[in-house]
Amino acid sequence: MPLDPDAKRAQFEATALPLLKGLYNAALRLTGELEDAGDLVQETYLRAYRTFDNFVPGTNCKAWLFTILYSVLVNQRKKERRAALALPTDDLEQRYYEGAVATGDLLADAAPPMPDERWGPEVDRAVRLLPEGLQAAVLLVDVEQLSYEEAAAALDWPIGTLRSRLFRARKQLFVALQPYAREVGYLKSPPRPR
Amino acid sequence: MTSHPSGEEIQDLLDGRLTSARRGEIAAHVADCTPCRREFAALSWARQAAAQLPAHEPPPDLRAQVARALDREARRTLAARSLRPFAWAMGLAAAGAVAIFLLARRGPADLPAAVARAYAAYQTAALRLDTATADGSALEAFFARNGIAFPTRVFDLDMMGYHLVGGRTQALGGRPSALFVYQAASGRTLICQMYEGTLAQLPAGGEEREHNAITFRVYRSGALTLVFWREGALVCVLASDAPTEEVIQLAYAKAVKA
Repeated sequence: MPLDPDAKRAQFEATALPLLKGLYNAALRLTGELEDAGDLVQETYLRAYRTFDNFVPGTNCKAWLFTILYSVLVNQRKKERRAALALPTDDLEQRYYEGAVATGDLLADAAPPMPDERWGPEVDRAVRLLPEGLQAAVLLVDVEQLSYEEAAAALDWPIGTLRSRLFRARKQLFVALQPYAREVGYLKSPPRPR
Repeated sequence: MTSHPSGEEIQDLLDGRLTSARRGEIAAHVADCTPCRREFAALSWARQAAAQLPAHEPPPDLRAQVARALDREARRTLAARSLRPFAWAMGLAAAGAVAIFLLARRGPADLPAAVARAYAAYQTAALRLDTATADGSALEAFFARNGIAFPTRVFDLDMMGYHLVGGRTQALGGRPSALFVYQAASGRTLICQMYEGTLAQLPAGGEEREHNAITFRVYRSGALTLVFWREGALVCVLASDAPTEEVIQLAYAKAVKA
């Protein structure tokens, strides 16, 4: 049964609007433009409001909103294909495994990277440079902390696709962040062989 | 286990997505195998780095833009509902029917209940203000800029001990309303809403009072008192969990005969 308009608005504002910041940040990374991000968030909320009667209270509203956001984005992108900024596969694999092998033992004992004033923008840049599919996987799972199942449903991908894209995204992030991380000591250079 | 697990299985170990049997098997391998241990560490490092992605603050007016889009949507929906019976009547006319159908109007929404919900939502921080200001004129200008087509009159209640906190635009019964909030030193909240309408749209059951030739309709919802009155084309309502007579006296003090 459709909700009374006032009840619907009050419930929507209480449930969906507090998630605006996370939605905006994801939109900002996916579109790369402040204005586009605002438009995408507004369109997402509008569509969510129209279909709010279908939202099941108690389920993850954030995952539901990301489903809508990504659907709006994909439809927009069908009109204007965006060039993906992917590293060539062979190059990525080589740089990842070289980096991982060279630093792995030290990583195991290393403290997690601690943010400083340059680290945040470096991570931001690395995430923005991920190809769209990989970026969405990392944004939903690692940043927004959705489960694989929720993220796969939001992106309309099979779980296996999400898993492999997430794997690839993390590898690419590792490769992209290595130079700065090494420079500031978040990753240590391997010891020289005696 | 002699062969190496795939990178994705190592990621499954990291993300806790393996069955307990498989988890034990792969964890044991990773612990003993330097390349796999390094891959696990690299993936873990990348996952932690992604989680440190800085959050940007949305533009300050984005929330208000979304609210305005929702207001437009609410008005569009209301108009569509009103036109639906009209379209049906036109269909009958085209079929040769001679009966005259009037444009059907949507039944009255329970406006006191809607105001009470807004009050409760504000109290639980589920309803947030679009703008925070103690300046009544600035708030009136804000409403004019943000989709409130009628002139608003933000009351000065400082003399009564209620200080203006801010306001927002708020759909009420499918129409735009100006909502503003006052706070007393005691922490008690008073909400005022103004919208275009008449007292006839209010449900039966309210207590009717007259003061200075103005009609007031008083409703109670739990501890909340809601006092409605009309000023020209507008209806004003004060809502608070202050004692009923105090809320009524505030309304008497601020209502003007239009």
